[in-house]
Amino acid sequence: MASKAKVVSTEHLSNDDIGQDVRLEMFRLQVEIRDCEKRANDLFFQNLIKGTSHLSLGQEAVAAGVATAMQPGDKSFCTYRGHAHTLARGVSMEKVLGELMLRDNGLMRGKGGSMHLTSAEHGVMGSYAIIGAHLPIACGAAWRAQYLGEKDVSVCFFGDGTTNIGAFHEALNFAAVWKLPVVFICENNLYMEYTPIGEVTAVEHPAADRASAYGLERIIIDGNDADAVYRTALQAFAKARSGAGPSLIECLTYRHSGHSRADPAKYRPPGELERWLEKDPIKIYRKRLLEFGASQEQIAAIEAESKRKVDAATEVCKAAPPAPLDQLTADVYADGGWSWRN
Amino acid sequence: MAELTYRDAVTRAIAQEMERDTKVVFLGEDVAKAGGVFKATVGLYERFGGLRVRDTPISEQAILGAAMGAAMTGLRPIAEIMFSDFAAVCFDFIANEFPKLRYMTAGQLGCPLVVRTGNGGGVRFGAQHSQSIENWTMMIPGLKVVAPSSPVDVIGLMAAAVRDDNPVIFHEHKSLYAVKGEVPEGEIVDTLGTAKILRPGKDATIVALALMVPRALEAAQTLATEHGIDCEVIDVRSLVPLDTNTILSSVAKTGRLFTVEENPRLCGWGAEIASIVADEAFWDLDGPIVRITTPHIPLPAADHLEDLALPNAPRIVERISRVMNGSAR
Amino acid sequence: MSIDVLMPQLGETVAEGKIVAWLKSEGDEVREGDNLFEIETDKVTMEVQAIAAGRLGEIRVKAGDVAKVGAIVAVIGADSGTAAGKPAIESPKAAPALPPARHEPVAMRSPFEEVSTPREIYGRAKGPQGVRITPLARRLIAQNGLDVEAIAMTVSNAGRGKISQSDVRTALAAAPVAASSTLPPSGGVFQLNIIRKRTGERLQKNWQTIPHVFQAIEVDFTGVEAARTGTKEKFKAATGFSLTYLPFIARAACIALRKFPQINAQLTGDSLALASQINLGIAVDLSHNGLVVPVVRNADDLTLPGLAKAIGRQVDKARGGKLTSDDFADGTYSLSNNGAFGTTFTAPIINAPQVAILSTDAIRLRPAMVETAQGAFVAPRLTGMVGQSFDHRAFDGAYSAAFLSHLKTIIEERDWAAELA
Repeated sequence: MASKAKVVSTEHLSNDDIGQDVRLEMFRLQVEIRDCEKRANDLFFQNLIKGTSHLSLGQEAVAAGVATAMQPGDKSFCTYRGHAHTLARGVSMEKVLGELMLRDNGLMRGKGGSMHLTSAEHGVMGSYAIIGAHLPIACGAAWRAQYLGEKDVSVCFFGDGTTNIGAFHEALNFAAVWKLPVVFICENNLYMEYTPIGEVTAVEHPAADRASAYGLERIIIDGNDADAVYRTALQAFAKARSGAGPSLIECLTYRHSGHSRADPAKYRPPGELERWLEKDPIKIYRKRLLEFGASQEQIAAIEAESKRKVDAATEVCKAAPPAPLDQLTADVYADGGWSWRN
Repeated sequence: MAELTYRDAVTRAIAQEMERDTKVVFLGEDVAKAGGVFKATVGLYERFGGLRVRDTPISEQAILGAAMGAAMTGLRPIAEIMFSDFAAVCFDFIANEFPKLRYMTAGQLGCPLVVRTGNGGGVRFGAQHSQSIENWTMMIPGLKVVAPSSPVDVIGLMAAAVRDDNPVIFHEHKSLYAVKGEVPEGEIVDTLGTAKILRPGKDATIVALALMVPRALEAAQTLATEHGIDCEVIDVRSLVPLDTNTILSSVAKTGRLFTVEENPRLCGWGAEIASIVADEAFWDLDGPIVRITTPHIPLPAADHLEDLALPNAPRIVERISRVMNGSAR
Repeated sequence: MSIDVLMPQLGETVAEGKIVAWLKSEGDEVREGDNLFEIETDKVTMEVQAIAAGRLGEIRVKAGDVAKVGAIVAVIGADSGTAAGKPAIESPKAAPALPPARHEPVAMRSPFEEVSTPREIYGRAKGPQGVRITPLARRLIAQNGLDVEAIAMTVSNAGRGKISQSDVRTALAAAPVAASSTLPPSGGVFQLNIIRKRTGERLQKNWQTIPHVFQAIEVDFTGVEAARTGTKEKFKAATGFSLTYLPFIARAACIALRKFPQINAQLTGDSLALASQINLGIAVDLSHNGLVVPVVRNADDLTLPGLAKAIGRQVDKARGGKLTSDDFADGTYSLSNNGAFGTTFTAPIINAPQVAILSTDAIRLRPAMVETAQGAFVAPRLTGMVGQSFDHRAFDGAYSAAFLSHLKTIIEERDWAAELA
């Protein structure tokens, strides 16, 4: 029961190509992301998280599915909606919440903030606030792998809104022409910030319907089903590692909260949120686990442990000091300093 | 000692670094098989192969983004932006991505790359292919900025830039590509952040950059022989880090400062130096600081108009001699 | 336990909000997630949920009222009316002055003062007779104690409206030899310049009020020299400054002063105030035109290379006439380096309100006794006298001698090469 599954194409699904260990892991990740993001929401309303914060509530399956399919050494790049992708790669809640609360124990000591979560040791090569910027950057990381003959894959997460910016198109063309080992994953949550994506995009599927322009396969998957995400990601990674070039995957999903903490999302049509809550990825996955023979006790244990972890992390962060003042000018340059003159 | 053109010095500099370190790679538009539109990278593709010297699509954002991703994960890329005016097309990477990465990640990631670009006017290409944009890059915290004026400095400063772990913007000058200069044999490595006194003098300090350096030297010669004004000419070479010590020591000696800048007037690099000198060396000044610059206009294509716009030796002589009342110490 | 309900941060740039309506009343039981109240800003209207369960206690901001972001609008908890919870806002207090950045070898500039503005004022731009005076001319006039009226008269009579440095140098050349470095012909009168006059008055007062005692100890500099020769070229190339013996001695003094704090102190009345910082005064001779003692602050925070650079900078500033009053302030101990002309020892005058001053003289090869396992031998060693003049009211000879002995040990036995790596 415990061995990790081999990659199979979706046409020949055996009943348990994924395996319970992997499934339990994906469930754990989704639950922990959910609980941590909810806590982040609460801390924001308590004024302990300042500035802004973009939550991934409802989009946990994409983060968990892809991260589980990745190997250590693979590099991930995401947008400012990046807490989920950071947690999914093994960064502790303390470091993530600490960074959101702008404390010294945070992932970047409060220097970067919510939109720039980075953990080089986990392969989280940055969260990027300028829309589209990280797509060519991911291409560069993939070029390095190709040039040095290294086998890691660069994975690039972005939203539906990104598909209309120049850098998206440059990066896809670039990756396709150089056959780079990079996988582009679009989380289509139906809204580019406050506007429905359909109102600003010339095609129906903002990512998948552009794929053919770059000679790539049109791939659309249910982004709320971690298994589907996992299988598709594995296939794309295998293709990249074999030298066959990039993939573009559009994951259909939905965010439960507004674009950022400032947005109560009143622009949603009535009933839309409720319909998507029915398709909540964690709800789906809980059912999936039971179908594949996990017990209620196992599920409850994961959920209880997640709550414990979030509470423990919150206490640590609340007690953590802010960064010392000399951090103001630290790390502008590689020598750790900031001096521009002698 | 050999004589080398500035453009051949670019090729030699890149080759020197690529020979030394296999992590140095090079990408840009038409740089590989065609050897670059200015023929400044001829032979690199043949020598180092298509995996290390790569032609890209016309995608400035992808070029700089890819350079950054490669630099972040272990390579030391050199990226070309063909005309420096095009920096505006990929300015997000120059202003927001390269220079802020290390700071925002509290030192976890860095960006050891070089962006080399053809800067400046005098080649009749018109307003969007002729501007001097070194001041655009000087003002961004986290970058280093150099602009060599001679073939030997091209090699020394390029080597220093490639070996530096920070993002460095390397402004080559289009009008200097054909200029020849003496270059010693062997490896040449200079130091960023160092200015050079090319002509010592005691009556006034002239600070210049890139194409303006030979023009300032020519003007200094005329000022000495025809006006009795003995000028010290400093090639700034590096805008960031800035060698303020050399400039301040010079002004302490002469009491007068003039800058010769090709960028359009407002917020040109000389304004910053004038400000530092007016502050820190106030009590060394015997007269006003004067900046000699291109007017604040887009550049015309017409040759006689473009020549009028960029500071030249006669204009520099006229301005300095008029301001100093023709009297030496 | 009670929880404060805060006015939330509604938009990234919004500072306050208006409560449009309360959806629960005081005394109601609320569950986590219930809508508590509705708020409005100029950008948005939204419901705010309860983040904890409990009884809604005191409502402090009523419907229709405006409150700042972060203000407590109500309390949820067992005891209504007592806000027992800690305040949720835990931001640090207003920042104190920025400490020097530790990652730089030298504590250089503050990021809020990236240019070192001179503090001295050398007079106004408008001079007598309606002439203007350039900044450089004003400085030279002030530093040389010249008569600005006379110069203005000369310039104005010549039909010019501005005094520049050439006019000042003309006046200097014409005046009795005030600041030149040439000696007067024998039998002639040598006018003291302003710096020498002012320094002289101070030296006289210190000599007359402080009971000076001088002690010296012979120090072997062979180890220092070994480390120095290895790196002095590289150091000069990298920084422009020479690596002399002085920074080594200064570094050793900083270490020794921490063990003998009474020497780094100030005597006021009948108490000796021990200084918390070590701010070293470095005596600089201005080409026989007077002596100034600029200070290197927090010298014990600097590494050896950092100290060498800081000393070099102060010396350059002194010789360039660019010292400001800040450079002279807060010295706690001084070093007087006299070795340039080969003297054996010098008993310097203490810089009040300090209580001691170190002097060093020529460091050269002398025959010395070196003890080995095979017995004592005469060998050429680089040695020099290191002496200290101290204020006998502050402490005794034994204390000073112990300090000198400790200083000698540091200079002779420290791993200087490691400090230069």
